Amino acid sequence: MQIDPHDRALLQRVQDEFPLDPRPYWVLGEALGMQEREVMDRLEALVRQGVIKHIAPVLEPERLGVRSSTLIAMRVPERRMDEVAAVVSGYDSVSHNYRRDDDYNLWFTLAAASEEDLAATLDEIRRRTGIPTGDVLDLPVVRRFKIDVRFWLEEERYGRDR
Amino acid sequence: MDGIDREILRLTQDGIGIEERPFLHAARTLGISEEEVVGRLERLRDAGVIRRFGTRINPRKAGFAANAMVVWSVPRDRAAAIGTAMAESPDVTHCYERRTVPGRWEYNLYTVLHCRDREAVLRKVGALSRATGAADYRIIISTEEFKRQPSGRIEPATGPGRGQ
Repeated sequence: MQIDPHDRALLQRVQDEFPLDPRPYWVLGEALGMQEREVMDRLEALVRQGVIKHIAPVLEPERLGVRSSTLIAMRVPERRMDEVAAVVSGYDSVSHNYRRDDDYNLWFTLAAASEEDLAATLDEIRRRTGIPTGDVLDLPVVRRFKIDVRFWLEEERYGRDR
Repeated sequence: MDGIDREILRLTQDGIGIEERPFLHAARTLGISEEEVVGRLERLRDAGVIRRFGTRINPRKAGFAANAMVVWSVPRDRAAAIGTAMAESPDVTHCYERRTVPGRWEYNLYTVLHCRDREAVLRKVGALSRATGAADYRIIISTEEFKRQPSGRIEPATGPGRGQ
């Protein structure tokens, strides 16, 4: 999908430095040489096209009482995939759940207020889905080097391949 | 973080409006000024409660069609150096060291890459491997998204969500 260069510049900026100001779209317009109305119209169009999901604070789970989290990989028989994935996705404590192209074909993240809660939820998922322990990998974080889900859109500055 | 901070986060976490004064709703709901709302948001960002404030983009719609998790098996004593180096790449959105499952799963470094297509993923992974000397890896492409939501959320009044 091709994105218009003005939209690209706008998208880059609202990912990186959305102005925390009572009139943020006016401030963005000043920086980008656009009217406030044009900024809002362009952002609305990007929301309609599904490029932008929303403009919001991205919160740090650890600072909200989530003390324990892990990544789980499961080997799920293909014919049971939809059913097992639905059980997993049903938990509020699961934020991401994907089918992946691997021997371990279901991958999800699980978070909880404590180690005990996390272990209890994982046990419950294993029990409800009937996936044996030997087909489950529990892969908690040892160290975080980076989490930064932003995208470099300005190809003329950064090049396609980097 | 006090009760008002928490309410501001709860009122804005699903998205602010695209309107001239998008913080007016939260300000009126809480009986404070818009300046106080944005001032508190700024402080929460400086304090690290907010990782960043901005747009959440749908990568596929923005031209990043390929999302790959790459798992690497690297010597433990080199994991920090290699992880730090991989984190430098703008295509790498996540980079973690994780515990292994000895005998079954020896991969200890995890990266998520968002690229324009599968070929770009392969090129990028090759470049990361050459740059760091990490040669034992596996590319695991996601083929279906069952669920994706923010991992940090404020629930009404009680605290973070905790399963069912």
